Amino acid sequence: MASETYTEEMNADQANPAGGNDHSFRVEGISKSFRHVQALKDVSLAVDHGEVIGLVGENGAGKSTLLNILTGVLEADEGQLYVDGEAVTFTNPREAANYGVSLVHQEQDVITTMRGYENLYLGREMEQFGVLKKEQMREEAQAFVDDLGINIDVDERVRNYTFNERQMLEIAKAFHVSQKSENPVILLDEPTAGLEESGRKILFDLVNDLRDRATFVFVSHELDEVLQISDRIYVLKDGERVDDTTVAEATTESLQQAMVGRETADEYYRVPDQQREADLGETTMTVDEVVHEDTVGPISFSLREGEIFGIVGVEGSGKQRFGRLLAGDLDTMQGSISVDGTTLQSPTVSDMVDAGVGYIPKDRKSEGLLLYQSVLVNTSLAMVRDMNGNMPLLDLDAEEEATLDAIEELSIKTPGPNALVHGLSGGNQQKVVIARWLAQETPVLVMDNVTRGIDVGAKEEVYRLCRELTDQGVSIVFIGDELPEVIGMSNRIAVMAKGEFVGEPFDASPGNKPTEEDLIQEMI
Amino acid sequence: MSTSNLSEWITAQREQRTLHDWIQDLGPFVMLFGLMITFTFTTERFFTEGNLLDNVAKNAVTLLLVALAGTFPILQQSIDLSVESVVLLTGVVTVVLISQFGLGLLAIPLAIGVGMLAGLFNGIVFTKLKVPSFLVTLGTLSVMAGVGKIITGGSTITFRNPAIRTISTGDVLGIPNLVLWGLLIYVGTIVLAFRTKFGRYCFALGENERVVELAGAKVDRYKIYPFVLSGLLCGIAGVLLTLRISSASPNIGSGLLLPSIAAIVMGGTALTGGVGGPHRTILGVLVIAVLNNGMNLLGIDSFVQEIILGLVVVAAVALSIDREKIDVVK
Repeated sequence: MASETYTEEMNADQANPAGGNDHSFRVEGISKSFRHVQALKDVSLAVDHGEVIGLVGENGAGKSTLLNILTGVLEADEGQLYVDGEAVTFTNPREAANYGVSLVHQEQDVITTMRGYENLYLGREMEQFGVLKKEQMREEAQAFVDDLGINIDVDERVRNYTFNERQMLEIAKAFHVSQKSENPVILLDEPTAGLEESGRKILFDLVNDLRDRATFVFVSHELDEVLQISDRIYVLKDGERVDDTTVAEATTESLQQAMVGRETADEYYRVPDQQREADLGETTMTVDEVVHEDTVGPISFSLREGEIFGIVGVEGSGKQRFGRLLAGDLDTMQGSISVDGTTLQSPTVSDMVDAGVGYIPKDRKSEGLLLYQSVLVNTSLAMVRDMNGNMPLLDLDAEEEATLDAIEELSIKTPGPNALVHGLSGGNQQKVVIARWLAQETPVLVMDNVTRGIDVGAKEEVYRLCRELTDQGVSIVFIGDELPEVIGMSNRIAVMAKGEFVGEPFDASPGNKPTEEDLIQEMI
Repeated sequence: MSTSNLSEWITAQREQRTLHDWIQDLGPFVMLFGLMITFTFTTERFFTEGNLLDNVAKNAVTLLLVALAGTFPILQQSIDLSVESVVLLTGVVTVVLISQFGLGLLAIPLAIGVGMLAGLFNGIVFTKLKVPSFLVTLGTLSVMAGVGKIITGGSTITFRNPAIRTISTGDVLGIPNLVLWGLLIYVGTIVLAFRTKFGRYCFALGENERVVELAGAKVDRYKIYPFVLSGLLCGIAGVLLTLRISSASPNIGSGLLLPSIAAIVMGGTALTGGVGGPHRTILGVLVIAVLNNGMNLLGIDSFVQEIILGLVVVAAVALSIDREKIDVVK
């Protein structure tokens, strides 16, 4: 690509430090292998002061390995790191931080029982004769975050922070640990995973505001976000840098193609495979005037066999709670839900599973999977509940058969049914959650952000699977933060605000899909 | 990494883990055989049929039952500290029912039923009132010990019924009944842990209760069962122990708690739940039983024995803790 010359030019500058145009941060020829597997092959990249760099690639492309090397968690087999032209070697994250390089983790790394400022100073507390100087830390911490334009109360306990505020705190912490450095390099690993629209905007505004005070490397699966925020984008594939492009030259399609090496067109969501309205079956679930306290409802709708019913809404619109309500996971409920003729009032999760509704939560690690149990145990977790006609004994053969079927049908990449789920990639983990309900032959699935944090390839497989399931008459309630995805997948789309549906659901049959703008207008 | 590389990488990771696991898995075996070889060469009596069967095995049965009882609550990430009081209470109830009420064989299921009720109480308070299990059972540990001691009136109570005693003291083909009961129940708990829904949920709850709940399990019920099972097994232990010595003292069962937890953890069931199982608990039990027996044969002072046992327990727990799991639960 055109980028080749760009990099060479930069390197020429680098060869002449007197030119004064040092890169803020540069890595050259980094290679790393784990046993016989090459995770990174001769990767070079350079970041300038004030730049925001996007780093994209499928799961397993080497992004995490690269971030770990940049922050001293792992040591590279070959290659060299430079900070402001100086060759450096990091053996732990603290050394990296001393040079201004720090990582904001994908999984939030804050201690929720402590206050904001205590987290900020964690491990580097100010003390005198062994006594903490709390007052001083609190004041300086508040001044510090205020100065960054971050709007949080550092005296508050972090468990009272919103998801967004915790992330802001982490970013502040990244600045804080690298304050000795004139130009910190802050690596953001999947910072938008788990954030809703409004949270993303706050994050992007912050990054934009702090551009001149730090260099950001932004790692994400969401290509349109990377395009929105970055100046330049590096693409990794199979451990190699396959592309280096300015934002002006890149499109979602071009990046996707570089990442996966294949064409992804309008076919992405398999819209042509969508069930036509005429092909939809009987009504399978009817939700009648359900209300949960004052956060959800009243909501009524019905779902037909083979239908995908999309639900969108901003953070706090109640869409996630509504999903939980359909799962039977909320304590109280007024109104009723009928599934295939069974009417339920204030059901438990167990009741809903009995009725044939399976729930796939947004956070698969804390609510979806037993990470240190096998693929088999995770897959059969729902089917074991009524095995052998409710007898206590398990049918191990049936479990194994169901697991092997699921591994094949969902092409779950695992060494075998007894491998721990912990070792699988995010996409394959999510397939295991889906497999649980397939093994149970559940007719209605409630999915909350089912493709969150999984790579493009795995997403496509989930879309394919949803289409196959609806072909077989399964109905899906598809709750999502990604508007294009919900639009692409759904037959109808309801917009939620303040716990209720706004107006009638949109018709989203092929050729008649609403635009993102149509939905956003209703959302706010 | 391409996907095939990825699965290779996973396999490599698993191989690495297995090496670590091997050391952990073999630890109790090495300890057991090390102790057995040591005592075989340092004492004359240790490696004789009479000693191994009559002393080591018989004495191990009570500890085995109590440790198996404690395994299930720990697997689901709770704990039952009341085990030794259940042994006391059921033992005392057995004697009273036989000697004062003349119930004969019927005393056995009734006493075991008392143990199960105690477990049910623990489980219900833990689950429904959401009191941490270690607090509930620490409380009932004290309550039941008090009740049991009141019933004895402070001194050893006895019964005379040689026929019933043979349940515990008889033998089949030279193998003591007591040992056979122990083995039977041992196999039973393995079946429970690995072949039943109850066992599956125990492991699953020990790792992440939310996931099990969202998969549609009636979580509360399955959190109570391990305590009922614990009461059942401790009840059996109390009955067998009482029948063996045809009496129950106010101190019967005391001192079982620490070695039972040590045996469970040594066997590989982490206190953080979700990993291990009753099949391995027997290893820890044997280590402790052999150690006790060997020290007796060597004529080591019983107070010194206490010190040594305590140190072994701490060392064994430190060595066998699953660090990876701790990292997960923090």
